[in-house]
Amino acid sequence: MKTIRIVALLFITQSVLAQETFPVNGVSNNFEPIYAFTNAHIVLNPTTEIPNGTLLIKGNEIIALDSNLNIPKGAIIKNVAGDYIYPSFIDLYSDYGLKEVQRGKYNYRPQYDSKKAGAYHWNEAIHPEINASTEWSKYNSEAKPYLENGFGAVLSHAKDGIARGTATFVALSDKTDNENILIKDAAAFYSFKKGVSKQKNPSSLMGSIALLRQTYFDAEWYELQNSQTNLSYNSFINQQELPQFFAINDELDYNRVYKIAEEFEIDYILKGSGKEFLRIDEVANTEFPIIIPINFPSSYDVSNAETTEWISLQNLKTWESAPYNPAILAKNGIEFCITAADLKDSKSFLKNLRLAITKGLNKGDALAALTTTPATLIDINDKVGSLAKGKLANFFIASKDIFENGIIYENWTLGEKHIINKKQEIDVRGYYTFIANEFENNLVAIEGINAKPKLTLFHLDSIALTTSLSGNNITFSNPNGTFRASGKYNNGHIIGNYQDSLGNYHSFRMQRDSLFENKEDQFELVIDNNTPSVWFPNKAHGFADTPQYKNVLFKNATVWTNEEIGILQNTDVAISEGKIIAIGTLLNPNDYFSEEEYQTIDASNYNLTCGVIDEHSHIAISRGVNEGSQAVTAEVSIADVINPNDHNIYRQLAGGTVASQLLHGSANPIGGQAAMVKLRWGANAEEMKIAGADGFIKFALGENVKQSNWGNFERIRFPQTRMGVEQVFYDAFYRAKAYQKQWEDYNNLSQKEKRNTTPPREDIELNTLVEILNSERFVTCHSYIQSEINMLMHVADSMGFTINTFTHILEGYKVADKMQEHGVGGSTFSDWWAYKFEVNDAIPYNATLLNNAGIITAINSDDAEMGRRLNQEAAKAVKYGRTSEEDAWKMVTLNPAKLLHLDAHMGSIKVGNDADIVLWTDNPLSIYAKVVQTYVDGKLMFDVEVDKELRARDKAERMRIIKLMSEDKNGGKKRKPQPTKEILYHCDTEHEE
Amino acid sequence: MKNRILKLAFALLITISAGAQKPTLFLGAKAHLGNGTVIENSAISIQNGKFQLIADASIIRIDPSAFDTIYRVNGIHMYPSFIVPNTTLGITEIDAVRASHDYSETGGFNPNIRTLIAYNSDSKVAKTVRTNGVLIAQVTPRGGRISGQSSVMHLDGWNWEDAALRIDDGIHLNWPASYYNTGWWAEPGESKQNKEYQNRVNEIETFLTKASAYAKSSNLMDLKMESMRNLFDGGKTLYIHADNANDMRDAIELSNKLHLKKLVIVGAEEALKITDLLLENSISLILNRVHRLPKSQDSPVDEPFTQVKKLHDAGVHFCLSYEGEMEAMGARNLSFTAGTTVAFGMDYEQAVKSITLNTAEILGVADEVGSIEKGKNATFFISSGEALDMRTNDVTKAYINGVAIDLNNHQKELFEKYKNR
Repeated sequence: MKTIRIVALLFITQSVLAQETFPVNGVSNNFEPIYAFTNAHIVLNPTTEIPNGTLLIKGNEIIALDSNLNIPKGAIIKNVAGDYIYPSFIDLYSDYGLKEVQRGKYNYRPQYDSKKAGAYHWNEAIHPEINASTEWSKYNSEAKPYLENGFGAVLSHAKDGIARGTATFVALSDKTDNENILIKDAAAFYSFKKGVSKQKNPSSLMGSIALLRQTYFDAEWYELQNSQTNLSYNSFINQQELPQFFAINDELDYNRVYKIAEEFEIDYILKGSGKEFLRIDEVANTEFPIIIPINFPSSYDVSNAETTEWISLQNLKTWESAPYNPAILAKNGIEFCITAADLKDSKSFLKNLRLAITKGLNKGDALAALTTTPATLIDINDKVGSLAKGKLANFFIASKDIFENGIIYENWTLGEKHIINKKQEIDVRGYYTFIANEFENNLVAIEGINAKPKLTLFHLDSIALTTSLSGNNITFSNPNGTFRASGKYNNGHIIGNYQDSLGNYHSFRMQRDSLFENKEDQFELVIDNNTPSVWFPNKAHGFADTPQYKNVLFKNATVWTNEEIGILQNTDVAISEGKIIAIGTLLNPNDYFSEEEYQTIDASNYNLTCGVIDEHSHIAISRGVNEGSQAVTAEVSIADVINPNDHNIYRQLAGGTVASQLLHGSANPIGGQAAMVKLRWGANAEEMKIAGADGFIKFALGENVKQSNWGNFERIRFPQTRMGVEQVFYDAFYRAKAYQKQWEDYNNLSQKEKRNTTPPREDIELNTLVEILNSERFVTCHSYIQSEINMLMHVADSMGFTINTFTHILEGYKVADKMQEHGVGGSTFSDWWAYKFEVNDAIPYNATLLNNAGIITAINSDDAEMGRRLNQEAAKAVKYGRTSEEDAWKMVTLNPAKLLHLDAHMGSIKVGNDADIVLWTDNPLSIYAKVVQTYVDGKLMFDVEVDKELRARDKAERMRIIKLMSEDKNGGKKRKPQPTKEILYHCDTEHEE
Repeated sequence: MKNRILKLAFALLITISAGAQKPTLFLGAKAHLGNGTVIENSAISIQNGKFQLIADASIIRIDPSAFDTIYRVNGIHMYPSFIVPNTTLGITEIDAVRASHDYSETGGFNPNIRTLIAYNSDSKVAKTVRTNGVLIAQVTPRGGRISGQSSVMHLDGWNWEDAALRIDDGIHLNWPASYYNTGWWAEPGESKQNKEYQNRVNEIETFLTKASAYAKSSNLMDLKMESMRNLFDGGKTLYIHADNANDMRDAIELSNKLHLKKLVIVGAEEALKITDLLLENSISLILNRVHRLPKSQDSPVDEPFTQVKKLHDAGVHFCLSYEGEMEAMGARNLSFTAGTTVAFGMDYEQAVKSITLNTAEILGVADEVGSIEKGKNATFFISSGEALDMRTNDVTKAYINGVAIDLNNHQKELFEKYKNR
């Protein structure tokens, strides 16, 4: 960090001298007067104020400031009595002065390779070589909204791409660009959004994450090698010394960036979403300083009851809570800055800032967030961010407290004045006597706002005349133009003339008899500390309190054990601390819960089973299920993009599903890594993961990977045939083997030899493939046709590993013997077919035939709707193939547990297993079976009775907020309610991040 | 007299029933008549393709000599054919293969387009649907403002002429949505109010008004107008596809204004908001697939499952459909969606009715099919277990117009081929 400081200082010194290097056309203007601002209420910094002081500036610098100062001779004195002076605000998330990055023309044909000329990174979204200072130039019309809101300097960068390049810190003055740049290279910026790049990769959030991680590894390697030049890495490496900024999308991204930060030991500063309150613990946990926008959502028009139903409770709650976000951050001790970015209208900046103050944000914290904190984060607090001798003359003058109702009069940057709102120096208002020849002793009232007074001449009309005031010149006229007057105000008198309806001029004089009693200036700050409650997730059905372990004794249930003992009648099951602790008849609760509280549930009318496990699911995933931009994307992982806010989690719990393998899609032969989760509603992404679960990865075959149904333009990416698919696998695993050897060779070197050898490049894609070769990661492969199934088993056999699961596997019944021999399981659809050419021979007897062949067989959903009634799908194995009911039930419980290597603690009712329990009203394979309760790890996640309470609570919460919204005066223009469309992923879903 | 037991080979049965003079009797089945009633121990006879005797076997006396064949089917269930309305079954085979799609014509107003002549009576998909008890489908076009005309078809026949039960039963109009989605499906933006909504509605009104005028006067042939003629005399039904309550209100208003004789609303997601209006105007509904996700994230998780019972309690006349993704192949699950409504409160026989008689009434074919009643077509099936539950649904025989149909299909053949490998 030290080096930057030196750079910064040098540059400032230079900038003072910079104009001296410029030739002057004409004679030079080298006189710099001293300005003295006297009698001001000076706010030096968030903790210090001088109620009545003087500020002296010369050139671009503050030369003195105190309550009692001798004003030097010749100083230009500006008496700003009663006004407030603040250090100018600083915005760290700006692209001021930079041209907007243009998106290229749309091309139907996909672009797989970079089109950028030069020795740069292979991916167009990684462009650390973009240097903001070389592109930057002042742009007055863009500076204006900043100046109007009190900003004096901003950190500017081009908001595009994943490794975006550097930012430059600039003042908002009219001086030369040379003088305005305060820090040439002030920071480096990153994001998960690829921006305008048209290159296919990355096409998902997980792809962006993997790309960035690989870039860090590549940069490490690049530093050590000397075989090639890559200007992107040169820049990337150089800018690691700068403050590192990361722009994220939503509250779930905090943990995603945190993981990268931990891996590569980077302290990021995060640009947040403004919705940090949704997951405040996770935000606090990162310990990163953050920059937040204050683009609070505007209220909706809720006048139509029916259309108001389209507004989700989530949006209603967000509307209510968002203005509390800054206060919540402050209360949680999170260091934060405020940015004007993301506002639809720059005029709402101060309005929203003040709204945040009324919602409990302390003024000092607010000022720090706009001055000292941003200055410190880019290490320029010795120059900006507060008012002190020697610092830059960046300050603004306001009529009153800027956090209440102060109006900014002037904003000074680098010692230059910008008039924002003309100060109305004189107050003409009051009650006058109008004296003229034509009519005498008539009462005149001048009322209203000081700068926009309204004059009423009672002789003419008791309604205010059209009045305008400029300086001390006042004009007023009546609507029909028969009386038009103008005059000058001085010391309680207005003298002027008017023209009558005949066109004759008459002089008049007005004399103020009494002053106008000013009511508008009274301002009372009312702080609302009733921070709204946040649910997890903050939407309908969300939990206000996280469910806890329960001690429960289920009495007299029909228990489907999935063990050798089969289905037991009139059986008791006890659970405690998340585990099943006893199974038997007439269990005595005192034997199990001697001390603790427990609950007895009469389950005599219920079937008790373990929870349903979905081997193939795509719910609860953020921003893309496929990274289909390359044939091999083993580097990406669904585990990076789990979305715990997906309401399908709750819906599936209501259908008895307790755990899912969240799979990458099937857009490419070697897809991404899977995430193994339990449906822990209310938990965060990390908490949803099943601890200690084995790693899995998605492979795929057939029409999706050869892009058969993607339209006529997608004919470029290899492979386009099943023949090519085979070659992709061989190529990938031969590369992985070579890579493995490379590392083995390197690791076998002596310490001395290692010092003289460049280590191999860390490749996260090949690392994953090596894990497969070492049987440390397991393959679930999307498959349909027997030929390709057979092929992949040959590939695996020849490479020395076993395919763990064929998923879909609709022609599995044709190669069941070969599958049995290979030792692979199958997870299939119960009855889907006819959706693609390759499923012509899909039959609903498949599960039965596989099961009969001794293959571990599961039935999966691949569909958010089916995922909530997988019990019915299992029943189809009974219907079509006459599989026994016990075996059919295992297809959605024990068998997927086995395929996912979870059967040691899940998938059956056994003492010691996880208390993932479902109570059903009927035989669980029956269409008439409904879920009464679902427990995950002994925590009650769904209960029909609780669900009723949640519905009532949600309705009441909705009506409460709608009432607030109806009364809302802050919102400005109200939004029209609109229905929201849901995102539902399937295997073949393509998505652009 | 040839009393035979159930297990006789099909070929033989077909021969016998084809040439039968005397009726065939099914004795002992639990008969779900489709009209809301059930006979626990039934005696049901068919003759010349029609139901004849419908009786309670525990009450009446049977004269065995009066029957050509008697099936003793005790403990087995009998149902009238399930009917899947509003489906592309028979005019599409494989979703991803465009060449197999014959359901969506180009152009906005296509009332003259007819699914009838594109119907593939040898659809492989249909053969897997009828094995679960669905023997009749309303084959329906998609797309455009007016998609075209549906026909009610048997899922068996030598050709479309042979398979047709009711030709060109109605015209399908897709009501403009008052809101539309922005963004694209994986990254949906906020929905936007359809500013063109009123214009689109006006277009519909103009088109229908012209059709009304044509029906009264014209003597020149206009294919589109000609196909609309019967909307005004009750000969054809106008099926309006709409989900939003307000859209449905507008649709009903327009229908009344133009004196359309028969209006059915298809979809009707928000029907519970307008039950009074539906009752006042005697409007029937073809509902969305029961096995769907709730309307929004705020909706109760069981909203689609409980909607049916609520509509029933409100007295609304409706039937179930299976419209949506993979609707053709999925039509074989229609009865299980009815089963779900039973789990969520519907009376069992009323649930059966919602996929049999109600459907027939709504499609205008109740005089021939939809229930097991004297004089109606003997289009029915028997299942060894009750048919709304996949756990027990097992169709062992199915008849169309009294003729047993082949219940074999491509999938069963593959099963047979590979199971004994």
